[in-house]
Amino acid sequence: MSRFFRAGESDSDESDSDYSDELTHSESEDHSDSDSDNSSSDDDDTAKKTGGRGRLFEGSMSDSDSEDDTVRVVRSAKDKRFEEIEQAVTSMINGQKINDWVSAQNEFDRANKGLQKAAGIIAQSGVPKFYIRAVADLEKSIQAALEKEKSSSKKMNASNAKALNSMKQKVKKNNRLYEKEIQDYEKDPENYVEEEVVEEKPKAKKAKKVVVADSEDDSDVEAADDGFTPVGAGGKSVEFNQENIYKKLKEVADARGKKNTNREDQVRILERLLVVANSPYQKIRVLLALTSAQFDFAIGASGYMSIPLWKNADKYLNSLLTLLEANPDYIIKEDVPEVEETDKDLVPQNGEPVYIQGSLVAFIDRLDDEFTKSLQNIDPHTTDYVDRLKDEVGLYSVIVRSQAYFTRIHLTDSISRTTMRRLEHLYFKPDIVIVAVENATAALLPASVARPHQDSSVLIHDLCVFLYKNATSLLRTRSMLCHIYHHALHNRFFVARDMLLMSHLQETIHQADVTTQILHNRAMVQLGLCAFREGMIKEAQTCLQDISGTGRVKELLAQGLSPQRYGAATPEQEKLERQRQLPFHMHINLELLECVYLTCSMLLEIPNMAQAGSNPDGRKKVISKPFRRMLDYNSRQVFSGPPENTRDHIMGAAKSLSNGEWQKSIELINAIKIWELMPEAMKIKEMLGHKIQEEGLRTYLFANASHYSSVGLDQLAKMFDLPLASVISIVSKMVWNEELSASIDQVSNVVVLHHVEPSKVQSLALAFAEKAAGFVEGNEKLLELKTPQQAERPKKGANANKEQATGKQQQQRTMGPRGGRAGRNQFNNGLGNSVRGGRK
Amino acid sequence: MPSNKELSAALDIEGSVPIHSVQLDAMVVLKIVKHCRESIPATVTGQLMGLDVNGVLEVTHSFPMPKNNQDSEDDASNYQVQMMRCLREVNVDDNSVGWYQSTNMGNFMNQSLIEHQFEFQQALSKSVLIIHDVARSSMGNINLRALRLTPAFMKLYKEKKFTTEALTKAKLTFSNIFEELPITIRNTALLTALLYELETADESIEVSTSHLTTYKSTASAPANKSVLAPSFDVLDLSLDPYVAKNLENLMDTIDDHHQEQGNYAYWQRSVERENKKKAAYLLNRKTENARRTASGQAPLANEDVDAMFKIPAEPSRLDHLLISGQIDNYCKQINEFAGPTLGKLFAVGELQK
Repeated sequence: MSRFFRAGESDSDESDSDYSDELTHSESEDHSDSDSDNSSSDDDDTAKKTGGRGRLFEGSMSDSDSEDDTVRVVRSAKDKRFEEIEQAVTSMINGQKINDWVSAQNEFDRANKGLQKAAGIIAQSGVPKFYIRAVADLEKSIQAALEKEKSSSKKMNASNAKALNSMKQKVKKNNRLYEKEIQDYEKDPENYVEEEVVEEKPKAKKAKKVVVADSEDDSDVEAADDGFTPVGAGGKSVEFNQENIYKKLKEVADARGKKNTNREDQVRILERLLVVANSPYQKIRVLLALTSAQFDFAIGASGYMSIPLWKNADKYLNSLLTLLEANPDYIIKEDVPEVEETDKDLVPQNGEPVYIQGSLVAFIDRLDDEFTKSLQNIDPHTTDYVDRLKDEVGLYSVIVRSQAYFTRIHLTDSISRTTMRRLEHLYFKPDIVIVAVENATAALLPASVARPHQDSSVLIHDLCVFLYKNATSLLRTRSMLCHIYHHALHNRFFVARDMLLMSHLQETIHQADVTTQILHNRAMVQLGLCAFREGMIKEAQTCLQDISGTGRVKELLAQGLSPQRYGAATPEQEKLERQRQLPFHMHINLELLECVYLTCSMLLEIPNMAQAGSNPDGRKKVISKPFRRMLDYNSRQVFSGPPENTRDHIMGAAKSLSNGEWQKSIELINAIKIWELMPEAMKIKEMLGHKIQEEGLRTYLFANASHYSSVGLDQLAKMFDLPLASVISIVSKMVWNEELSASIDQVSNVVVLHHVEPSKVQSLALAFAEKAAGFVEGNEKLLELKTPQQAERPKKGANANKEQATGKQQQQRTMGPRGGRAGRNQFNNGLGNSVRGGRK
Repeated sequence: MPSNKELSAALDIEGSVPIHSVQLDAMVVLKIVKHCRESIPATVTGQLMGLDVNGVLEVTHSFPMPKNNQDSEDDASNYQVQMMRCLREVNVDDNSVGWYQSTNMGNFMNQSLIEHQFEFQQALSKSVLIIHDVARSSMGNINLRALRLTPAFMKLYKEKKFTTEALTKAKLTFSNIFEELPITIRNTALLTALLYELETADESIEVSTSHLTTYKSTASAPANKSVLAPSFDVLDLSLDPYVAKNLENLMDTIDDHHQEQGNYAYWQRSVERENKKKAAYLLNRKTENARRTASGQAPLANEDVDAMFKIPAEPSRLDHLLISGQIDNYCKQINEFAGPTLGKLFAVGELQK
């Protein structure tokens, strides 16, 4: 049983693979050449170019590579293959006649294999008819044999029976492929094979003729190939000259995108044409074709254009722009009706400009994209990357140049697109780099086109304002985000924040495309870092919370693939994500980011935890989950060695801060090396030291207030090394915010602490208020869910209303007497609204 | 009572008169209070004996049931039968008219109580449930409630059909699971006489001592004057525990309710899902049929679509109903408490001035 099973299985496998093989073969005819040894290498090129016709031609040529030198039998590939198959088929028929199914099966397999090898040939001339006849007959005789087997008392031997059975299966499957042919055959079994024989001869002749006619055409290409004497096969020399320049251009344009087109040759032809071309019109036409030909080389999303090619494209684009600048009467536009293919040289007349069809902006986009792609693919830690990065100046100058060109011919859409490109090259760079790039560009370009901007902010501002005025909404959004990023980079927190809030970007960013969301996330992160540099810890924390708190920082900022947890991403998704990655030089330092986030979290969370104390409700109010998790993990460790990385330092600092040892905390924070990456690291450290002192004081008061009835302000000031005035201000703030129930006695300079605990009823009432609110919410949700066919439920409604009333009352009471705080917090809520980009 | 038997026979004939009030003998009240208070905090139950006369249910006697009766249901009923027999022998009313239960802070709305009362009302259509709230009684006023299941609820409970539809049809809400009957407390003539005597006794104790020796021994204590003097429990100012207890209970109940909400929402979602599937299927069918008629084929036979998509059964709403009733109870209690309490607080405030 199992053996039978296995046999059946393997056979189906095999025929499956047969099938797929056949498919691939017929798909790529060209490759079948490499299979057959007899196609000489010399002919290879020709065969490729002329496709199918060439093969017959080649078949009729003498086979010089054949190993057997003595017997120089001239056979075409087709004949050779078919002979093999025919042999196999004949012996198969013999086998089936004498009821030897084992050998029949073997021969059948051989025939099929031969058929596969000849797939290229078959695709042209069809399946050999003798094969079809044999296969059709085979099926019949198998059936007959099986019936005989059933009826006869004498059994076949086991292997034979098995072979017969598996043959049945195979043939069935096999014949399905040739259903039509078999039908044809069955209609007229007698004449079927003869037809073919008659057919064969004229076909071959015809093919030959075609080849001869073809050779003329081919010769052009070949001529370009060797690059010496442009002599065709017919002995006719091929010249590139003024007359045929348009014809050649058209040929190239027609050949573009076709399967057998040799791109290198095309480029060579075009290069020659460029030398020949002398009028600006011709030159522009040739350059346009040449640039797009360069881009044709790079196909596929994962690969990137090779650097020399890219440089070529850059060069051609530059010379194209130079040409256009020099000849202002020629204008390249996208929406120009195709000019009649005349061989005439178009010259502007009476000041009427000549319009040429083409899309410069598409070239610019492509050039920029390819640049990004290459940066994505080059290892950023090699010199290659740096070398590649040096090309950016050239790219940037092309962009600036084309922007100037578009401005001259008033193509608003293209201007905004190039302006956006320009902005995207600049927004994340510090001042010095921008100025350097601008100066380099100015040096590269003629003075009429670009003049260097000395102030980067003015430049960015100009670019953005232009986009705000003219561009589509997507570009406006993106430029707004770039602008915000730029402001944040220059420590103008409030300007950046106001732009972010006034644009209401955060409300709609969820609907934006992924790259825009990534840009938004970058701007948010930069804003957070800016707030941190300015010493606004709380703002910094809220800005960073949504990005750093998720644990998917890499993904949200498109700075590397985050490890897949469930293997959920399909290869396509992963590929998409890979395409989205930012080049390395645009990255925001993730370690620094984490360090800033954790430090902010520490400064906020430690007093918060001290305030919550042992109160279980208070403990629920978590500012930063990741921070808490890390702290928990750290405190669970039995032995903790000296801090090694940034995280250890911050955790150590957090612990000593909560113990009131602020000096140690400051020491630990200052020992973090990554601060050096921040501009003005010393100032930041100083700021942090000050903050730690303040938060240390707050933590101390929260933690120990219950043990004191009054504390001397002087003593507090001495303890935390703070001036008395700031101690008073901190304590007053705490009292005002109702974080500390105390009052300041200014006569004796002490903080008098009141010990007021809410009574049981009060705390219960508070808890109840929360519960009731939840209750109402639940009821409302249920009502919303109510499916249409459900009957009214008056009871539910009444119940909800009642509870709602009580809930509201209670809530109003819990709001507290001072409404001032809510207003202040709104900003933070507004800010803390980041977007999860990533896969969708 | 000479014509007890005749009377009951007469009453049985016109048994359709519904009960509109309950009359408790003072002794019954005292017995209930005693039993309930002794066994705090456990919940205890007992039997009520009496007779209904012209719509008034007169409860003349009661006896407590032994505890943990759920272990042996037989024991409890045996005990009841024997107790009844004994009572008959001493010529006390042995006609069961209901039962009583102690409770704490009005916390009595639960399945078992409902079931018990349902069985009672099935067997004896005129039985009643007396709820004695020990905790609330300790606040000053004795707290007794006489409850009966409403006919609408009885009907639904019999059918065990607590779907939203049925509830709406029966107009049943948490507030009309029970109907509450007014309670009057009646003293026998003798007792009234004694009370009168006691009231006047403080002037001339000696007069009455001759025939009330037992009383004399206790009443002769120095604080004897306050035997029937008004209780000042009402003026107790420790108000927090009561509210706190109520709030705690309320929160627990709300948690329960939350769970019910979750169940119901889950059901709603699954119904919606099924409906969507069904609609999609029907639409599919329709387009398919349209296509078939267009191409001249016979439309597909109508299948039983409802059988294909089984809509899950609605969860019983009884629990939810009871929980809502319980929440209502607590809310009412707090409300009832809040009014007098505010008065008290103001009074105290004035006094302290």
